[in-house]
Formats: sequence, C-alpha cells, structure tokens
Amino acid sequence: MRTALHAEWTKLRTSPATIWLLLAAVTLTAGVSAAAAATIPCKTAACLGDPAQISLTGVQLGQAVVVILAVLAVSGEHATGMIRTSLTAVPRRSTLLAAKAVAVTGVTMVTATVAVGTSVLAGRLLLPGSGYTAAHGFTPLSPTDGPTLRAAGGSMLYLCLIALLAVGVATVVRDTGASIGVMLALLYLVPIVTQALTDPDWKRHLQQATPTAGLAIQATRHLDTVAIPPWHGLAVLAAWAAGALLAAAVLIRTRDT
Amino acid sequence: MIVVNGLRKRFGPKTALDGMSFTVAAGQVTGFIGPNGAGKSTTMRVILDLDAADEGTALIDGRRYRSLHRPLTHVGSLLDASALQPSRTARNHLLWLAHSQGLGAGRVDEVLQRVGLSAAARQRAGGFSLGMRQRLGIAAALLGDPRALMLDEPFNGMDPEGIIWMRGFLRALAGEGRAVLVSSHLMSELQDTADHVVVAGRGRVIADATVAELRAAVSDGRVVVRTPSADAGVALIAAGASVIAADGDTLTVVGLAAQDVTAVLAGKGVPFSEVSAHRPSLEEAYVELTRDVVEYRAGDAPEGVR
Repeated sequence: MRTALHAEWTKLRTSPATIWLLLAAVTLTAGVSAAAAATIPCKTAACLGDPAQISLTGVQLGQAVVVILAVLAVSGEHATGMIRTSLTAVPRRSTLLAAKAVAVTGVTMVTATVAVGTSVLAGRLLLPGSGYTAAHGFTPLSPTDGPTLRAAGGSMLYLCLIALLAVGVATVVRDTGASIGVMLALLYLVPIVTQALTDPDWKRHLQQATPTAGLAIQATRHLDTVAIPPWHGLAVLAAWAAGALLAAAVLIRTRDT
Repeated sequence: MIVVNGLRKRFGPKTALDGMSFTVAAGQVTGFIGPNGAGKSTTMRVILDLDAADEGTALIDGRRYRSLHRPLTHVGSLLDASALQPSRTARNHLLWLAHSQGLGAGRVDEVLQRVGLSAAARQRAGGFSLGMRQRLGIAAALLGDPRALMLDEPFNGMDPEGIIWMRGFLRALAGEGRAVLVSSHLMSELQDTADHVVVAGRGRVIADATVAELRAAVSDGRVVVRTPSADAGVALIAAGASVIAADGDTLTVVGLAAQDVTAVLAGKGVPFSEVSAHRPSLEEAYVELTRDVVEYRAGDAPEGVR
C-alpha cells in the first residue's frame, strides 16, 4: 500500500493538469467567498445573515473543481488505457483504488485548507464593510470561535468527502464526461429540483438525504431552522461517499479491464 | 517461467480462449504466433490478471500474477504501448511505475539509457511516434529487472532500424537467462528471433515446437528437379515417384528422397542441372498450420473482440 500510494502521488504530481486545477479550486473558492462577504448586506441588528456561512459560499463552486480533479485521476486512466498499466504495477485492485482515493483526498485536503483559510480571512476583512459589525451584534470572524471553526474545518472535510464520492463514482462509471455529469447533477441539479418542490415534507427529506446536505456543516446561526443539523449533514455525505467507494471496490475487483 | 494451462474465456457468444495451454521457458525467446483473433492478447491479459479466465490457470513461477509482491520484478510486460497519459513525460511515466515497485529514479534513468530514449526522457510521451512508445513500453517492462518478459506485438509501428534493434534486444534478453514471450501475427518478424514457437488459432494452441521442428512438420517431401530431358519424368515414375507438377524444365516430384532422385537419374543417364528438396519457409509452415483457423482472411481485422 505504501508503494502504491507513492505511485499515485507521483502520478498526480507529474500530471500538468493537477496544479492548474488546484490553483483554480483555491481561486474560485476564495473569490466567490470574498464576493459574497462583500455584497451580502446586514442592515440591522435583526438581519438573518450567517457570517461564517457567507464567507464559505465559494465552497459551492470550488467543489466542482475538486470533482473534476478526482474524476480525471480515475477516468483519465480509462480513457487512455493506462489503467491496464496501473493494474499490472498494482494488481491488487482494492489497493489501487484505496491508494488513489487517499492520494486524491490528501491533495484535496491541502487545497481545501488554503481555499477555506483564504475565504475565512476574506470574510474577516470584508464582512464588517457589509454591515456585520459590533453595532449589529457581530464579532469579527475568527477561527478561535467554536462554531466558525466547525464551519471552516467542516468545509474542508466536506470537500474531501466530495473528492471521495467522485473517485467512487468515476471508478464505477469510468467515462470522464458521464462521471462529471453524474457528480454535477448530484451537487447542483438535485438541489435546484429540491428547491422547486412544493411539498415541504418531501423538500425537507431530500435536503436531508442528498450529498449537499453536507453543506449544513457551514451553518452557525439559526440552527433551529435548518433542515439537518451540521454534523448529521456531513454524515449523510460521508455515507454517500462510502456507498460509492464500496460499489467501486466491488466492481473494480470483478470487472475485466 | 510462465505456465498457461487450459485457459477458457468467453466474451458473450464469442469464444476467445478454448483450452489455451503452453509454457514459456527461461533463457529463450518464445514466439506466440497466430492470426488476428487467435486469442494471443486475451491470453496475455489473463496472465496479467487483467481479464479473468472462465477456466484454467496462468502461473508465473508457480503463482498467480495478482499474488506477486512487486509484480514488475517478476514479469515485465508490454501490451499496449499507448496505455499511458500523453501529457506526462516519458521519464515521469517510468517514475510512477518505479515508485509503485519501491524503485527509485536511478533505475528509471538506467532503463531509459538501455532502450535509447535518454535524449527524449523529458518530452511528453504523447508526442512520441509509435516506435518510440514501443521503446518506452520496453523500458517500463525492464524497470523491475524481471526474470520473465511478455511483449504483445512489439514490432508494430517500428521502422526497419527499430525492428533490427528489437530483434537483437530480444535475443540479448533471452541470453541473460530471461523467459521472453513475444506475440506477432507475422511469422517473418520472429523467424530469426524465436527459439520456440507457439502457434495459436481460435483460442487454442495448434503447434508448440522449436523452429526447426515446425519446419520439418510441414515439409511434405517434395523434390524439385531441373532437367532439359523429357525422359526424366518417365524414369522417376518407373522408380516409384509421382510427378505432381511440370513447368518447362522443372519437375516437382514426391515419393523419393532427393538423393534417390539423383541416383535414379544418374543411373539412367538422364541429364539434370539441379535436384533439391523443397524446404518450406517458416512463413509457409505457418500459413499451412493456420489455414483452417484464420478468421478474417481478407483485410486486417483488429485483434481482440471488444
């Protein structure tokens, strides 16, 4: 496993696309977060804005780049046939899958740390200008604040779980376009459809059961009104990732390549 | 040593392997020859545990490929020279392979040197010609300094210089005591390279012999006689031979060995300028053996069935 992991790390490191995707993930996450912090206003002490959540808005776009990175790491090998070279080097297929999942998750964790850290810093600097001031009852955004730390750290975990889900889906689907399509549908189309539902019970159930329930980890205010508590939401996403990886582990062992 | 025993494999309605069995011995080049669709590539994929056989076993030094620790140090293989990510450099492609076996960058530079790719090491592999990719694939196969090598159609895409290099290279690898299995659908590519030939057709072995044995097996005892005299045929038939072809001053006869033909003609005083036993080329031997199993007679249908 150690050598397989070393090989997967070398693959990621020596693929020219990796560095650009990581830079894109950081830039998009921090950029969108900063834009949200600078533009979502708080005009009175009674405003409903959640400073931590606002400053982590960019995660919703950054996750798309994480998906592309994770999918390419898997399906890119199927597109070129390199998967056969990989399997001759590491013939124990579950070892290959695990090594790939760990390498992609590790790179995602480092990227997420930078992206989320920058986002929180941007929020701390920009939110007061939007009205999240002491006068309206807000303290500056700080990672020493328990809920803020949970929202920020949880967002990093969220991105890692998205990467794991994408590795699982791409291992099952194998085709790059189809894998990215499935992932983007889960992350963007399903929430839109959910929003459009008129039946409040169905709406709540879907919000609780789909992968984006994991974004609940970002909520720090009005926790009594959210569809699912923060850690429960992250656990739902973890279950999705585990399910996808389990399906991947079964299929990669039984399929011809 | 690679031992393949009774492999059977179906892809849907199509039988790809139908009891394939053979052995690849150390210290020699074993040619694995057969028409397209004979099951050569499928056999190699099964040996490498890329495809699962429905029946039978393929063992390397007595073990399944999947159970080998650091497998590239046991068997080096080249199935598809294009099975790499085009944007990665040649050296980095070998580097991740080396890391997967616990080997370092030093070994990568050694094999690049050995296949003559040092100068192109830092170019993107996607820009390589097929011949250069074949060399890169050979470098990958040699990375773990394995005792056995398995190469699928390594001559494909090589220029004449590359083919000569590849032949000498394969001989040298066998000379180092390695077991070398090389597939080809052209006997001529392996004529002067292989010590042993496994001829496959329709998923099973139809001949497994040394090159000399293979030639002898299809030698049909024909003798070619060149003579200006019209009496030669009569004399030979009287001596028990049959004339199966006559073309100008050339007769082709069977039923008598060359030295007997010479004796008969000399005894009767019939003049002749040449008497020679017809020796089939390896190519003819191969065509003869695979006559009944060639699936796609015309055109060059792709190997494999998927």
